[in-house]
Formats: sequence, C-alpha cells, structure tokens
Amino acid sequence: MTNLLEVNNLNICFRNGKSITQPIRNVNFTVRSGEILGIVGESGCGKSVTSLAVMGLLPPKSSEITKGEIIFNEQHIEKMSEKQLQNIRGNEVSMIFQEPMTSLNPVFTIGQQLMEPLKQHKSLTKVQRKERIIEVLKQVGIPRAEQIIDEYPHQLSGGMRQRVMISLALLCEPKLLIADEPTTALDVTIQAQILELLKRIIAETNMSMMLITHDLGVIAEMCHRVVVMYAGSVVEEASVEELFDNPLHPYTKGLLKSLPSQNERKSALYSIAGQVPRPNELGQGCAFANRCEFATERCLTAAPPVFSVAQHKAKCWLLDETVGGVFSE
Amino acid sequence: MSKERLLSVSGLKKYFEISQGMFKPKIVVKAVDDVSFDIYKGETFALVGESGCGKSTTGRTILKLTEPTAGEVLFKEQNIAKLSYETMRKLRSQMQMVFQDPYASLNPKKTIQQILMEPLNVHKKFEPHERLNKIIDILKVVGLSEAHLHRYPHEFSGGQRQRIGIARAVILNPDFIVADEPVSALDVSVQSQVINLMLEIQKKLQLTYLFISHDLSVIQHMTDRVAVMYLGRIVEIANTEELFASPKHPYTQALLSAVPISHPKEKRERIVLEGDVPSPANPPSGCTFHPRCRFASDICKQIAPSAVAFSDTHMATCHLYNLEGEKK
Repeated sequence: MTNLLEVNNLNICFRNGKSITQPIRNVNFTVRSGEILGIVGESGCGKSVTSLAVMGLLPPKSSEITKGEIIFNEQHIEKMSEKQLQNIRGNEVSMIFQEPMTSLNPVFTIGQQLMEPLKQHKSLTKVQRKERIIEVLKQVGIPRAEQIIDEYPHQLSGGMRQRVMISLALLCEPKLLIADEPTTALDVTIQAQILELLKRIIAETNMSMMLITHDLGVIAEMCHRVVVMYAGSVVEEASVEELFDNPLHPYTKGLLKSLPSQNERKSALYSIAGQVPRPNELGQGCAFANRCEFATERCLTAAPPVFSVAQHKAKCWLLDETVGGVFSE
Repeated sequence: MSKERLLSVSGLKKYFEISQGMFKPKIVVKAVDDVSFDIYKGETFALVGESGCGKSTTGRTILKLTEPTAGEVLFKEQNIAKLSYETMRKLRSQMQMVFQDPYASLNPKKTIQQILMEPLNVHKKFEPHERLNKIIDILKVVGLSEAHLHRYPHEFSGGQRQRIGIARAVILNPDFIVADEPVSALDVSVQSQVINLMLEIQKKLQLTYLFISHDLSVIQHMTDRVAVMYLGRIVEIANTEELFASPKHPYTQALLSAVPISHPKEKRERIVLEGDVPSPANPPSGCTFHPRCRFASDICKQIAPSAVAFSDTHMATCHLYNLEGEKK
C-alpha cells in the first residue's frame, strides 16, 4: 500500500498577543490509500488542529507551521498558496465536521450548497450537476432526494443533516476524507446508521479516511490503524487489534481501563489521576509524566523518543527495558 | 435493598404549547406523556433515551422547575405538584440537581465560596460562623481543597467544575439528587473520576439518584434500575442487569445493539433502526415506535399498547407480548 498522506515532524505554534503556545509538537503519521486511520485523544490534545493543518485551514494570522511537512499525494501542502489549496480542498481532500447543525448555511437550500463544490472543481452542465447531486444524496441514503434539494437545513433532522454533510464531502470523489468527530453530536441509534454508511462508502470507493474521535468504541468499530494523541504529540501508533489487545503506552492503557465496560459493575472505575497539562505547562520531560503511575526520574527530565515493537510504536521510556523495544525514527 | 419508597411519579404529563398565531390552533408538544415510576431509598434510578425523548423534562418536572400539566409526584408521600412556591422552596433542600453542562451552570462572576455559600444562606442551614467550615469540608469530600475557595469558575477544568456542581448539590445534605447527564460533557479519563465520586458520596451520604443519561455503558455501570423512554413515554422498566441481559421492547433491543463495540474483535448483531425519531408535536398513532419497529403489525398502528409485566421488576409496553399471551 502506498502512502496517500504523510505528516512528518509537524510543529504548530499559535500566537496570542505576545504569548506563543505550541499545541502540536513533532507529530508523525501516515495514511495509506484505502485505509481508515483513527486519531483518538481527549479534548485539547490537538487532534482537530492537526486535521485543520492537513486541510490548510489554520488561521494564517495567529498560527504558523514552524517545522515539519505535510505531504499529500506527493505535494507539499504546507508550502501551497491559497489558490493551490482551493484546488485540493473539497476536491481531493474533503472534510466532515462535528456539528451538522452549524456547518450548513441556513439561508441556502441543500441543492444550492451542494452545487458549490461541483461549480468550483468540475466542468459540468447545470443538468449534469443536478443529476450528480441526486445520485450522491441517494448514495448516502436520503429518501426523497429530488425534493430535499429544494429544502433548507432547518427542515432536516440531525442525522439527515450529517448525511447531507457527507454527501457534500463525497461529491467530487475525494481521495482522502477527514471526519472530525462525525457522530459526536448524534444519538446512538443515528450514530450506528452513520457509521454503517461511512464504512460502506469507504469499501465501495477505495477512499482513505482519517477519523478523528474521542470515542474508543467508534475506533474499535471503524478503523484499521490508530494513532493516540496526548497533549499535542502522538504517543502511540498501532493496528486496531494490537492497540486494544496490547496497549504499550501507560496513557492508552489507562484510557482503555477506564471505560465503564471494562470494569465490574458498581465498583470504582479505574481512573487516570490529574488532568491534561496545558500547552504552556509542559516541561522538558514526557508530557504524561505527572499523571503516570510508572513515571521515573528520567521521564521528568527527558522526553522519550519513539520505540517500536514490530509494527507497534509508542513514545515511552518504559519500552526500552521491559519490552525490548527498538529505538526508531 | 430496603424497599422504602422515596419518590413516586404517577401519570406525569408535561405538555408545551406552541402558539401559531391568533386564529390558528396551538400545537401541543407532548414532551412527557403519562409517565409513572417509583424510586426507592438508596437506589440509583436511570432514565435513558435519545435526545428529545423527554428524559430531562421529566427530571425537571419532578423538582418542579417546570409545572407539570397533570399527574402526581409524591416525595416522601407528599404531593409536590400541589405545593406552593414557598413550601416547595423549603423542600428543595432535600432534593437537588446536578446539571449537564459544567461550563454553563456555575455563575462566572462568583467565587467558589460564594457559589457554595448561596444554598446555605437561602436555606439558613448551620450557624453563620460554621458555614465556611462546612464548605471546606464538602470541598474535601469532592476532591478539591481550601485553596480553591477564592477562585472563579473559569480557573477550573471541566471535571473540577462538575465536582463543584456536585458539591453545591450535596452541601445541603439532601436525600435525593437529580443528575441530568452529569458526565456526558467530560472526557473519558475525567468521566471515570466523576463517576467514582458520585458512587463514593452516594455511599457516604446515603443518597438516592435519578440519573439521566444517554450513555448506556455508564448506566450499566452505576445504576440499579433503568427506565427506557421513547417520545415522552416509558417503554420499558427493569433492573439494570435484567435489562441488559434480556431487553424485551424492540426499541430497547435496538438501542442496546447500537452501542459501539468495546473491542475490535467483538462481533455484534446490530439492529439498525431506519429513519429518525418522529416529532413529539405530531407523534405517530398507536404505538409511537411503530414506524421504525421491525415487528410492527396492524394493531401497533391503531392502539397504544399497555404495559406487560415479565416479572415483579420488569415491564415493557409492546403489543408483541400481548399477542403472544393471547396465543398461549
């Protein structure tokens, strides 16, 4: 499998007046063609900022990619001009946002909004555009597609709006779909429908997907490989079975153990003490050291490099002795 | 468990009217429609359902934060629905609420000391000079400390704010707490801390919870009995273990099967429901679930089913079992 997207050593800084924070430090991962890569982490760990960087959507005035590269389909996204980015966005890479309620424009009909990417990227006649829109709406399971295109977003339910968002992302048949918490705002029964749908579309079209979520259940359900993020860096990367069977990083272990379904009923749940440090509180050592039950002197003074055990990578000092991990780049 | 009844809800209804203009008839939204259940002392009773099913409205109506349209709420055998504003206000020292959004439910202009002092002042609990000590005690119970007294809500993280919300609810030493989605705005690692805290203070202070949530794994973990709501009605009530082991109502079955798996190798037979929850302003005839139900027959479209008891503790409202009963 070839790599569709490579993120190498990415660092992002935000400026706020005179203060500078660095929410993303040394992030590395790849998305291969045809796979679903999950990115999991708690709020504020930088998963959404990373996805915005891949789309070239970071606010230009207050943020900056200070180091690293984002290579999509052998093109450097971080070096592109706004014009070049516009050719890619919605065309080769497209994105589904978390809030289906706010990401559609309330004053345009569904049809008008779906027309936009086709006008921008494809040379089709008006009739062809309409045909294509109806075809895609049917593909995502919207009944009465012919009528829906003349309706406004407020006339649709949350699940339907999310389907419209998905069809908007699919219109130009992108190579990479970024889904940022696509089901977080939805109820469980609707979530099950949408996940089924996304799985079916990925299988049918050989698209790649980057699925960003905080829900380990969604990860277990959907992904082939998983990247775990904590406080702005990647702490672990593995295939989904490997991650659930044999998590290496103490943070991942803690996350999995703290799920209610992993604990005996009514007993005290396992929990990770403390809170995620803010980006300006991070010191020299491992970002997780202050909450880690295995932390040693070394964890507080030096940030751990990536160790790999077979295909499984994790950033933790514990791995060099206990599991026989190999120091890798 | 001792079966002393603390709260009894019977035939509770809450309708909201939407005015359509002067000469048009009003639309009536039946947010809660004929809900009945009992809560016993010391237990955790859960209300579960999707958004818009009326679970939060039920919780708020029980505390009389909104007036019920009809029905009775007996708290310690006293009908709350008929109480005057003043008596109800006094009674609220025994019934408290923890809200969903820890960011919106604390006054940003008040320090933690002021926030926690408020209920004590209102209900004139303890001698004024004792109150501060009491606040410090309760902060320790919820895992904060004296050092936090003079800080403002924005200085705390989501989990800490929810701890303050819980401290504010338990400082009056209530018997009954309505917890409306207390952990759903929190991250997994913080969520488990707050669940532990709630279980711990329940033991310590002998609290009874009405726990409102849409997260089935949390409900399975910490509650004793569950009521499943759909479109303003309770479709199934059972002991938690019983409900998760053998759900009877087709909606409960679909809801349980829709929960994401906990391990990638786990295989689950999934019942994917078609369509969306209908609008409560215009609910379907008969059984309100029939347009999405796999087993719907003609009778479901016409007549609303009545409750069928499977055991003393397990009840569902579905025609499926009435019919089977007749066949037997």
